[in-house]
Amino acid sequence: MRELRFVALALALLPLTGLAQGDPARGEKIAYTCTGCHGIPFYKNVYPTYTVPRLGGQNQEYLISALKAYRSGDRKHATMQAQSSTLSDQDILDITAYFVSYSEEES
Amino acid sequence: MRYRVIGSAPAALAALMLCAAGYSTHADAGDYRRGLEKSQVCQSCHGRTGNESLLPSYPILAGQHADYLEFALKSYRDGSRRNAVMAGFAANLSDQDIADLAAWYSRQEGLEDLSID
Repeated sequence: MRELRFVALALALLPLTGLAQGDPARGEKIAYTCTGCHGIPFYKNVYPTYTVPRLGGQNQEYLISALKAYRSGDRKHATMQAQSSTLSDQDILDITAYFVSYSEEES
Repeated sequence: MRYRVIGSAPAALAALMLCAAGYSTHADAGDYRRGLEKSQVCQSCHGRTGNESLLPSYPILAGQHADYLEFALKSYRDGSRRNAVMAGFAANLSDQDIADLAAWYSRQEGLEDLSID
């Protein structure tokens, strides 16, 4: 009974650990297009002008929700809506897994 | 001679535009110390440096570009980016508040650039 309670607790805490899902190796391949803007330090978005956000080491769940919001049109950005429109849920998982793993490898 | 003047006009214009573009990114430079003071509310979800999110669905702010953070906050404020929680907080921020907060979080250690291989 005691062990059962421990297992239940561990399962309950699992979502809090933010376990990386997706395949970062596949993600790296399909994220090649992303680096055309996000891989160039201080690359500028225009109209309006601001620096394209840094993604290396960002929280995966946030990245997933951002990409899905672009895909559904809930979040507006012409380029990001176009790019995300072709992505499956699995693509999004893999790409974001790559962005997360990136900072762990590089730093 | 006339041609030279005409020929140089586009170049001069381009140079002016480049200067303007460079200037615009620093025009509303924030004060990072004021930003820390103003970030009490933000800290409850994003952490003091913006690198300790309360939930993994909240973005890391530490090390993000200041002008992108400003764009994001202004988008929440004007409703072009929809998030019930952020809309409520951003509604009360002035342009100077936003610049100060962006200055604070952009100076922290956190996010990194992706590199092209």
